[in-house]
Amino acid sequence: MFRRGDKIEIFKPSTDEGWQDYMDEFIGLHGIVTDPDTAINDPDALIEVSLVDKGTHRLPQDCLRKID
Amino acid sequence: MSNLTCPVNNSVIKLKEMLDSSLIKDPKCRRISEELLELLEDIAWGRAGKDHIPAIESLAKELIAGGPDDVCVDVGAQVQEALSGHLEVFVSHVETHNCSSGACIKLAPAPCQMACPAGIDVPSYVTLIGMGHDAEAIEIIRKDNPFPWVCGLVCTRPCEFMCVRGRIDKPVSIKFLKAFAAERALSQGRYRNPDKMPDKNKKVAIIGAGPAGMSAAYYLALMGYTVSIIESLPMAGGMMMVGIPRYRLPREVIDREAAMIRELGVEFRFNTAFGKDITIDQLKKEGFEAFLFAIGAHKAFALGIPGEKKYPQVIKSIDLLRNVALGDRQVPGKKVIVIGGGNVALDAARTCIRLGCEEVTIAYRRTHSEMPADIEEVEQAEEEGILMSFLTVPVEVVGENGKITALHCLRAELIAREGSNRKYPVPVDGSDFFMEADAIIPAIGQAVDQQCLENLSEIKWTRRSTIHVNRACMETTMKGVFSAGDSVLGPATVVEAIGGGKKAADAIDRYFSGIPQPKLPPVPVRRGRIDFIDVPASTKMNLKKPDMPLLNFNRRRITFQQVELGYSENVAREEARRCLRCDICRRCGACVEVCRDKMGINALNLGYLDFDKPFQTDFRDTADRCIVCGACAENCPNDAMQIKDVGDERILSICGTTLNRLKLEYCDICGEALGPAKYHDYISKRLNTLAKIADDRTICVACSRKMAAKQHNEEIIPLR
Repeated sequence: MFRRGDKIEIFKPSTDEGWQDYMDEFIGLHGIVTDPDTAINDPDALIEVSLVDKGTHRLPQDCLRKID
Repeated sequence: MSNLTCPVNNSVIKLKEMLDSSLIKDPKCRRISEELLELLEDIAWGRAGKDHIPAIESLAKELIAGGPDDVCVDVGAQVQEALSGHLEVFVSHVETHNCSSGACIKLAPAPCQMACPAGIDVPSYVTLIGMGHDAEAIEIIRKDNPFPWVCGLVCTRPCEFMCVRGRIDKPVSIKFLKAFAAERALSQGRYRNPDKMPDKNKKVAIIGAGPAGMSAAYYLALMGYTVSIIESLPMAGGMMMVGIPRYRLPREVIDREAAMIRELGVEFRFNTAFGKDITIDQLKKEGFEAFLFAIGAHKAFALGIPGEKKYPQVIKSIDLLRNVALGDRQVPGKKVIVIGGGNVALDAARTCIRLGCEEVTIAYRRTHSEMPADIEEVEQAEEEGILMSFLTVPVEVVGENGKITALHCLRAELIAREGSNRKYPVPVDGSDFFMEADAIIPAIGQAVDQQCLENLSEIKWTRRSTIHVNRACMETTMKGVFSAGDSVLGPATVVEAIGGGKKAADAIDRYFSGIPQPKLPPVPVRRGRIDFIDVPASTKMNLKKPDMPLLNFNRRRITFQQVELGYSENVAREEARRCLRCDICRRCGACVEVCRDKMGINALNLGYLDFDKPFQTDFRDTADRCIVCGACAENCPNDAMQIKDVGDERILSICGTTLNRLKLEYCDICGEALGPAKYHDYISKRLNTLAKIADDRTICVACSRKMAAKQHNEEIIPLR
């Protein structure tokens, strides 16, 4: 479960339909979770992530992993 | 070509200069030039797709062929020349989104601006607030976000999570500063809408007067489009008005900012439900050619437990919040249970307290630490006396004679499933218990209500029941139809909706202009390079993030008065001075490297430069070892690090933060400023011969050389 402020890495492309072509270039980038699903902790929800130098995006959670 | 220039960047600069100079007078030529500029900027910012270069070629040719004067032909020729001469560089920008010269990257925004879904130039407006220029700060914000006051009160502030100051101590209070400036500038009438562009005679219909719809309306109106907003509610604001309680966001704030949009000529048609009171065909008959659906996510999920639909005292949270916002302030019950752990659950519970409910309990199936609501919201709710029941799974609404008496629940255990480190609440058999209640408010999420769009069969929906769009431009699968906000993302944030609305406005303009849509979401645009605020290193380190003063607990329990009372002027100005100005310092580390590796001094203790592994920073440490040699400033690619002589001192600063100041010494012979004694000692050690010549005198290098030359001449035996 991702919490606001967690540092994350995009470690793989997602197979979710919420993954768009331009997101391929985000793989390997680090960032911070800025708005997780604030309603029901849904692992399927798109969550808001701010990526270093690449802006803020709503991404599927299966492509993210926490880093220290 | 020098490796410091970039043909893309040069073309952008030249074309901007031509457009700014008013040399391009012919309207058609000007329009084509503006389109060219937009396409070139896409390339410069890595947003372009494969259609961009052919489109530029075609527009340039159009200018060359169509004239009608030499200036227009010249503009077309310059662009064509740049393109044909450096095609591979343009292609590389498009394909790799990289500018090898660094010229395009150099203009990249600060992390806080990049993080903002609306792309606001945060460092510029924070600095202006620090300088006391609130109206100018709002002017900068409204270039990217027409709701500075709303966002100052309710933004989820992704910018603060990326704030580099947070790597030193706490992030700058960007949100509260925005609220401070907006309140002052707007309430005192010191900010006015920008001028609109000439009428384009094109009509756009926007469905939904929420943050996405109104943001799009604002930018489209400024571009000269005729905009009408269709809204089913009797007022503007959408979810901001009926989903966010008044103690967080007063209605007057929304009304004031919506009025500024109306002032631009945007028409609002309230109490008009799309799909029921008006259809897309009717709108097309009225002359509307493009449509933006920003209908929000107003449909609540049901609990799906027995008794839920049987009792009228089960009130969906979103209905409760809407009714209260629209003026119906009936107390839902004496003992109320709100089901859920998110922000909406907290809003519903805190609203119930204010309505006069005697006991309000939040029932949540996980524990306190897993609550998805903002931590500040949870803390404030607890302060207001809201009770929490964790690991609670509702199984049935119980009642008699048409009235609720209790909520039948089971205790839950958090258990990790195989292959997952995520823990799930699993009800424990036999752990039944009953929570006494006379009203139950489920708050377990919302979805988009598809009913109003059911006749638009060309619109594709996602499996999350949101409208499918190309998120780079918010275009739906139906021609001329766009969508933004919660209807695309599901329940998200106000600032994301605003960013989506702005993106959609840009895309609608491109749609009308017939130019290709970008392949990537827009990169935020820097709005200026504001002067630094001079702050001593000790002040920069000692300034602490101020707490937000709050309304006292007792009053919070009985009124909808705003809870956060706002910063005072002194506090706001001081807080703005904590900003590190990351719009100028790109954290490349060149200063640290040259100081440590080339000069061997290692005076810069700037641990915040690294995102992944920041270490301790102390601007005050620099003065201990720094000799003010200026090597750091010389190697700074963006003039963040500066060295200058002021009076009899040499001062080193980074983005206005004074790192060191040392008294200057002057040449005994010519009176030139030599630099401080520490620097002089350092140089003297390196220039041994000259140092010997100078003995104990303080002499500049030029005078030392002259003396050395003279001594050398005297030692040579004259030729016979």
